[in-house]
Amino acid sequence: MATEPRLTKTQELVYEITVSEAMAADVVTVGPDQTMADLRIIMRDNRISGTPVVEDGRLVGMISIEDLINALLNNDIDAPIREKMTTKVECFYADEPLVHTFAKFSKYGHSRYPVLERDGRLAGIITKGNVVQGLLKKLEIEFEITEAKQGSSRRDRPTIRKFFEDVYADEISFTFKYLVAGQNLKGTGKAASELKSALKILGVCPSLLRRIGVATYEAEINLASYTKGGEIRALVEKWGITVEAIDGGPGIPDVELAMQPGYSTAPDWVRELGFGAGMGLVNIKKCSDEMELKSSVPEGTHLTMKFYYTS
Amino acid sequence: MKLKDLVREFGLEVKAGAGLLDRDVTGGYVSDLMSDVLAHAVDGNVWVTLHIHQNIVAVAAHKGLAGIILVQGRQPEKDTVAKAAEEGIPVMVSAFPAFELVGRLYKAGIRGA
Amino acid sequence: MALLTLRAVKKALGAETIFGDELLDAIEVDSCYSADLMSDVLARSRANGVLLTGLTNPQAVRTAEMADIKAVCFVRGKKIDNGTIQLAREKNIPLLVTKLTMFEACGILYQAGLRGVPE
Repeated sequence: MATEPRLTKTQELVYEITVSEAMAADVVTVGPDQTMADLRIIMRDNRISGTPVVEDGRLVGMISIEDLINALLNNDIDAPIREKMTTKVECFYADEPLVHTFAKFSKYGHSRYPVLERDGRLAGIITKGNVVQGLLKKLEIEFEITEAKQGSSRRDRPTIRKFFEDVYADEISFTFKYLVAGQNLKGTGKAASELKSALKILGVCPSLLRRIGVATYEAEINLASYTKGGEIRALVEKWGITVEAIDGGPGIPDVELAMQPGYSTAPDWVRELGFGAGMGLVNIKKCSDEMELKSSVPEGTHLTMKFYYTS
Repeated sequence: MKLKDLVREFGLEVKAGAGLLDRDVTGGYVSDLMSDVLAHAVDGNVWVTLHIHQNIVAVAAHKGLAGIILVQGRQPEKDTVAKAAEEGIPVMVSAFPAFELVGRLYKAGIRGA
Repeated sequence: MALLTLRAVKKALGAETIFGDELLDAIEVDSCYSADLMSDVLARSRANGVLLTGLTNPQAVRTAEMADIKAVCFVRGKKIDNGTIQLAREKNIPLLVTKLTMFEACGILYQAGLRGVPE
């Protein structure tokens, strides 16, 4: 399973890559009127075993080390290349797919072929080594691009801070509002859950998400346990996030007392559901960077929690 | 194992019933649900909970529990201490969370009810 | 402090999976929190642990979700509300149930290397 897409990718590359991408463009050439003796020196100095013969920019033949050896054996070293070169030459066009070279390399057994532009000018030569190197290079580039993409997605994973750095307006904010029913713990936590998910999408970091989730959930539990119902609002701004829980009564008679750890007016049905131990407000205070609780009887309660983006 | 062994071994703070620590501990029960303790805790158990209100004393007395250990350093309410003294229920405090304390009690050989 | 897969937690407690058996091998926990009061869990637990509780209503799962807890294990072989399983499925939080009491379950997981507080 895992190798199949990779194979497909390689096949694609072989068809995608052209001869010009793999060939050696910087080619040593000789002229037809140079001698075989000249050729010997050129071959030795450039450590090559064959080269195209070019006249006025056009390919006229190929000359190889075999031709040179034959000339040496025949004592014909001063003969012009024109007389010894092969003129019936198989060649490629620069814009052909590289895959076309495979057949010719195996069919004719030559180790190199000249590469021509469509107008007949010599563009370069190609060897088996060039083919392999060209493919490897292309694979490497593809690999680097993939790597870079993955790397950048890791690095540039959107964060809420980055978002506010990248966009400009005189005022930017997101508002989320959730309605919470009172006197019923069934389904309570949905608002906190939805808010946590929304803030995650906006790129709020995990530790802050956890704090906001926990505090909002406690606030929601309070709305559901003690009030006629109300709403939770979250305001996302450049500096941080404000979460408010607002209800329509009955209000808290003594806010200071309510803030004390362990103080609770929870009815048994709330306690048996795992809440009502007098820890909710303490918990909210611990999770938030700033907290304000305002209440009046019987109008209702307004809880404000602030969370700052940190590193 | 006796309550006083637990006090010494686990550095418990004794809040009520300091004179009753010779009681044997038959096992342990950990729960924060009163109904659960009423239904399942066993005579002579030491009860680990985070509740601090006086209802815990009533529950412990009703079930004949050896004593109560409050976790996370939670301090019993005044009424709880008074009622514990009255009912003869030792109340102790551990700084550990329940999992950590119970893990250590278990390691020391105390088993569940 | 040991890292345990949820599979190992399940095995240690002789627990059954109620939801998410296919998730158990991939998730590791290093800590455990045991409580029936969800406010306590919300206030004190650490992220990435497992929750042991006798509370079987959906608030247990909701609490795990909010506190970034990886899995919930119910004790004393309790019958689990449908709403609880439904929410676990929605939030992809594995649920286990063991016949052991909370006391025994705590003891065994502590022996297995899980801790309740950072060491």
